[in-house]
Amino acid sequence: MKKKKLISGLLCLAMTATLLGGCAGQKTTEETADGKEKVTIALWGNQLLEHYTEYLCDSFPDVEFEFTLATNSTDFYRFLNDHDDLPDILTVRRFSLKDAVLLKDMLYDLGDTELASTFYGTYLDHYTYDDGTVNWLPTCAEVDSLIINETLFDEYQVEIPTDYASFISACEAFEEVGIRGFVSDFASDYTCMETLQGFAISSLLSMEGREWRQKYESGATNQLSEEVWLPVFEKFFDVKDGIGLGTEDAQMVNRDPKDLFIEGKAAMYRGTGADIITFPGRGEDKVLLMPYFGDTQEENWFLTYPTFQIAASKKAMKDPKREELILDIMEAMLGQEGQNHISYGKNMVPYNKNVTLELLPELENLNPYIDENKMYIRLASNDMFRVSQSVVQKILNGELTTPEAALADFNTQLEQADASDEKVAHIDNAYANEFTQKHGNQAASAIFNTIREENGVDLMFGQSCYVASDIYEGDYTQKDLSYLCKNDGGYPVIVTLTGDQVYRLVESTLALTGNRGSICNDSTMYVSSGFEMDLSKNEENGYVLNGLTVEGKELDRSAQFSVLIYSDRDWYLPVILEKIGCEEFNADIPNCNQYLYKRLVEDGGQLAEPTDYLKLR
Amino acid sequence: MPKTNRIKKYILPMLCAIAVMAVLGAGVVYIRSYMEQQTVQEKSSQLEEIIAQIRVNLEYGLENHWNLLAGIEAAVKGTHYDSEQELYAAIDGMQKEFRTDLYGCRMMLLDSMGMACLDEGRVGIWDDIDRIADGQIHHTFVSDTSNVDGTYLIFAKKMELPITVGTDEKKYTHLVMLKDIVTLKKYYTTESYGGNVATYIIKENGVQAYYDANDADIIGVRNVFKALAEAEYIQGRSFDAIKEQVDSEGIAAANILLDQTEYYYCLASLTDYGMTLMLLIPSEYVAISTMNMMNSTIRVMIVFVFFLILVMMLALISVVMVQRSNQMVKIEQENNQELQRLKQAAEDALNVAETANKSKSTFLSNMSHDIRTPMNAVIGFATLALTNVENPEKVRDYLSKILSSSNHLLSLINDILDMSRIESGKINLEETEANLSEMLHDIKTIISGQIHAKQLELYMDVMDVTDEDVYCDKTRLNQVFLNLLSNAIKFTLPGGTVSVRIRQIHQAPEGMGAYEIRVKDTGIGMSREFAKRIFDPFERERTSTVSRIQGTGLGMAISKNIIDMMGGTIEVITEQGKGTEFVIGLTLRLQSERRTVEQIKELEGLKALVVDDDFETCDSVTKMLFQVGMRSEWTMFGKEAVLRARQSVERNDAFNVYIIDWRLPDMNGIEVTRQIRSLGDDTPIIILTAYDWNDIEEEALAAGVTAFCSKPMFMSDLRDSLLAALGQRQPKSDYSLPSAGAAVDFTGKRLLLAEDNELNREIALEILGEYGFVIDAAENGQEALNKIAASKPGDYDLILMDIQMPIMDGYEATRRIRGLNDPVLSEIPILAMTANAFDEDRKRAQESGMNDFLSKPIVIEEMLEVLQKVFEH
Repeated sequence: MKKKKLISGLLCLAMTATLLGGCAGQKTTEETADGKEKVTIALWGNQLLEHYTEYLCDSFPDVEFEFTLATNSTDFYRFLNDHDDLPDILTVRRFSLKDAVLLKDMLYDLGDTELASTFYGTYLDHYTYDDGTVNWLPTCAEVDSLIINETLFDEYQVEIPTDYASFISACEAFEEVGIRGFVSDFASDYTCMETLQGFAISSLLSMEGREWRQKYESGATNQLSEEVWLPVFEKFFDVKDGIGLGTEDAQMVNRDPKDLFIEGKAAMYRGTGADIITFPGRGEDKVLLMPYFGDTQEENWFLTYPTFQIAASKKAMKDPKREELILDIMEAMLGQEGQNHISYGKNMVPYNKNVTLELLPELENLNPYIDENKMYIRLASNDMFRVSQSVVQKILNGELTTPEAALADFNTQLEQADASDEKVAHIDNAYANEFTQKHGNQAASAIFNTIREENGVDLMFGQSCYVASDIYEGDYTQKDLSYLCKNDGGYPVIVTLTGDQVYRLVESTLALTGNRGSICNDSTMYVSSGFEMDLSKNEENGYVLNGLTVEGKELDRSAQFSVLIYSDRDWYLPVILEKIGCEEFNADIPNCNQYLYKRLVEDGGQLAEPTDYLKLR
Repeated sequence: MPKTNRIKKYILPMLCAIAVMAVLGAGVVYIRSYMEQQTVQEKSSQLEEIIAQIRVNLEYGLENHWNLLAGIEAAVKGTHYDSEQELYAAIDGMQKEFRTDLYGCRMMLLDSMGMACLDEGRVGIWDDIDRIADGQIHHTFVSDTSNVDGTYLIFAKKMELPITVGTDEKKYTHLVMLKDIVTLKKYYTTESYGGNVATYIIKENGVQAYYDANDADIIGVRNVFKALAEAEYIQGRSFDAIKEQVDSEGIAAANILLDQTEYYYCLASLTDYGMTLMLLIPSEYVAISTMNMMNSTIRVMIVFVFFLILVMMLALISVVMVQRSNQMVKIEQENNQELQRLKQAAEDALNVAETANKSKSTFLSNMSHDIRTPMNAVIGFATLALTNVENPEKVRDYLSKILSSSNHLLSLINDILDMSRIESGKINLEETEANLSEMLHDIKTIISGQIHAKQLELYMDVMDVTDEDVYCDKTRLNQVFLNLLSNAIKFTLPGGTVSVRIRQIHQAPEGMGAYEIRVKDTGIGMSREFAKRIFDPFERERTSTVSRIQGTGLGMAISKNIIDMMGGTIEVITEQGKGTEFVIGLTLRLQSERRTVEQIKELEGLKALVVDDDFETCDSVTKMLFQVGMRSEWTMFGKEAVLRARQSVERNDAFNVYIIDWRLPDMNGIEVTRQIRSLGDDTPIIILTAYDWNDIEEEALAAGVTAFCSKPMFMSDLRDSLLAALGQRQPKSDYSLPSAGAAVDFTGKRLLLAEDNELNREIALEILGEYGFVIDAAENGQEALNKIAASKPGDYDLILMDIQMPIMDGYEATRRIRGLNDPVLSEIPILAMTANAFDEDRKRAQESGMNDFLSKPIVIEEMLEVLQKVFEH
């Protein structure tokens, strides 16, 4: 009898061990080996790697943060939730209650927390569901309107616009002297959406426009109202014609308009408060943030949106102590200091009562608009991003020639699902998106090895946090595959480096601070593919390079290597290339997900095996 | 009984008891639960009622605001203003015109983009613009809009016609009234819970829009509905059910636990305004009176049930005990019977002992109390005799009184000895011939010493006594009189009066005489309570006055016993501080040969004047005079008596005798005598007095008084007095020794006196020597026996044999004498002579061979009678 019981017990133990082993591809514990509490935070964008992550690590030394760069949509979290893998703290910039409702039951209700009480009730209402639940809370408002080079206006004696007519006149005046009056990265969905809405804010904020929006956001309608939206499209066509936007504009990506602006080739571009700081014209130029212009000055509005929204997984809050910790972290994220570390702390408008943010001199003309509350909050559902990009591009490319046609097409596309549920790939092996001292980040290693193999470069060097989730064993849709690597912040480039430069690449990266490519902790460590890194942590908790090897042999400093670098292209790459003395790079390559798609879908293959790329002492 | 059977016997009642207790317990639990449910319902109902009233008030108030807003809209809609400034002034104007300040409101206009304008100018796009942008005309909600500081209840209305401003006809489409939320308080304030109610206004999504209470927010969270859903529901309800009820019925209430405290909350939906009103009150403040009633009911119920359980347990224990003790009952009964028998025997013995003790106590008490009275007379008069030894008349008088007192004392001693027998009911009355007059005069004589000593006045009176010769136990009746009088004297202060009045009531059967005897004093009296117990043995009133007076408390009990034995009644009439009166009712057998009351020849036709201040005396004496054949007049005043005397002389119909009371209100009897004598009237005058006249005798005689007559004056007294006064008879001798040898000559008779007491021997020798006896004496029985045995026939004619003697008592000596061989000697008459005078002593003497019985002290008449009888034989 006793024997049977013993055998049963052993069997149970064995089964438990097996099950635990089966979960090896996923994160298994909330506590690290050194006793720190592990908290995962999905960051909406890599700009938070500059200061924000460091601020959190400093604020909570007993917490081992695991940062990932999430694809900036609530749908990404839907994908994670499908695999029961929501991070503890979620952030997202593209937000609408309509989309977020899918996660409602998975997220913690912040409605009755101290955090919520710091917000004006009116703002909080925008995040409150019908049953009073509040899952998401906004950080400060990003102002996203028109940046103008006042110096350039002065140089060409063009009147600073005050309304829509003067704006068009100014554009025309600059066009006449060979300078783009207004440019924007219309290749990006958010630009399409924001400019479409921004130039027609007065229409969208009419009583009818507000009424329609409430219906749309509540799900009462999925169609644009002609009464409200036809004037919007009419305005956009007018803008297109007035400014002279065309196919070239439709191709512009994020950096393109900024380059034109800092080169003095464009007088105005669509940009944010942060952009004013990062891309301030030709160096000494005086730049201003101006509103979207209405027909009258009174109808000028700034377009804003929360820099990002923050939420917590309900699952993470089960333990009261952990609940308290996570709420403390969120309070730090939303508090005065946290918001100071979002971007530069001087280009934002707070939503909560207990936070005061200074405005840059360049943003001074924002004040009267803040006072009058003339801050239009963009309508930012996933569909709006997607369809706006499509429709605006069609308009710019001449495929849609009338406002009516554009409205109709928009509504048509709203009716269509944004992606197919068809399973296009199957991944056989699961890998945990988790840093371990022994193996590094196995999920990132598998991804990067695959990309390197697909691209055919010798080496690949990329930041692990661009892989935002575990690699799950199972079927994937095309959309699911897009979440394997972050697309909207990380852009791969190929450079040719000597072995010595590769050493410097690694060393410089390890030493980089205050940059969107900075390493904050193990979770933001870079992953090498095609070579191995031997690192150690120094006393200042920094990382020091001991050596590089290729298949165990020291990397040849004199040899030449084609290297694919995968990190922030606009803030990290220029700095790091300068440090290693590399002036040329090839950015004209597919994004990372395309390599993965080719391997997994087109070739029907599997991800490459991860390698032990890192030796961390 | 086998053990298992015994166990079975107990199991059933125990099971029954347990079952009953279980049922009772379950009943208590059920009733308590039921009452709690009822209380919850009551509290909920009360709350719902109150919140319904509040809701009516609130809706009425809100409607008023809507009316106000409608009025303002009617005044301003479609108006055109040339400039924004004019618009601001217009807003200010409408506020003043409609006195919106009285409502706690200010006005705001919204343009088509949501720009808000107050009387002070533009305040920006309204935060809450999206709230009203839903196509509806009216909106009411609570807002803490950032455009205007404060929290407001918003009344927003899209105007039928917009206000236009400026040349470009800028449209203002919405009229908004901002009501300071604080001013809403008057619509929802309730006095019902003494400031312990918290009021919440809740948005449709459950989020708190407004909170108002004296204390901190109990719910403490933004989402009130969520908090209510997560709270612990005491009565098993859920928030879902409450919400459903609110949605369907508009109002619902429930009790919940918040921070371990029970609260009641009540929701009332304000459907038209998209809000819900909630009251939250600690349970202890809801329906307090109902709660108190329930608690007290439960307490009573619990006490009742516990009492029932206790009774059940006691019953169970009793059943078990009874069963257990059944077997022992017989044995115990037997034991009890034996014990009872022993106890009875012990009680009997105790009773005997107590009775004996009581008799002894009674004896001693009587000795101390009753003997003292006649003894005082003996000593007093003996003392007087010694002091007046030169006056033979007075000595004679005193000696006769000493003799009288001594006789009474002797009788009393006998009676005292009998008192123990009174207690045991063995006494027998000895009825003898008696004369009431003599009896009362004797008593008067006995007590006069005490009266005099205490400076009291003794008043004895007779009313309508026609039959003074009766049969009664004189001794015991005297004893009663003495008891009553002794008490009267004892309890009357100096200067007071003690009176005795005897009246014959002519309602008695033939041959009987009914008498009422009243013994009255003006003493301290008695309390009513004590008067009820006056005849109980050993009763003496415990007052400061009484306690100083010594006594045994037996006198009244003895008197009552004696009167009872005589078939009479004795009552007491008393009042504290005023005096006491004993009323004795006695019916006595009349002597068949009563004294003649026939008219006396010598007195027939004579005329008498009776003078007494007491009408009763006048009446009584007059009647007696009539009976003896005399005529009489009476008056109550001395002066009138003198007047009448004069008139009678003048009319030649002079009185033949005057009977005058010594004490009269206007002048005393001596003065009256003196004045009558001054008229030259020498008619005999008899002074009638209830007092001792010795002190006034000389003065009276000098004044012309012929004779004295003491009260009480019976017929015999009157007759004797009259005859004496009128010179018809000599006053009777008070006392004389019986004449020696009146019937039998004892001279030469030889007596052997066996007496151990030398004094008694001497008395006997003296008395018997007077009658001619030749006496030989022996000091004890043995000596007597020896003397007889040694004598020759004829040496002794009679033996007087004491009973109690040393060496050989009288009984034994008699038996020996009777046993002598010489028949002459053995038949010598032997008379017992003993202080043991009870009947059983007589019987024993007879049994021992004695011929007759003489009790000591020797009564000469009795002795002579017995001796005569012996020698005759």
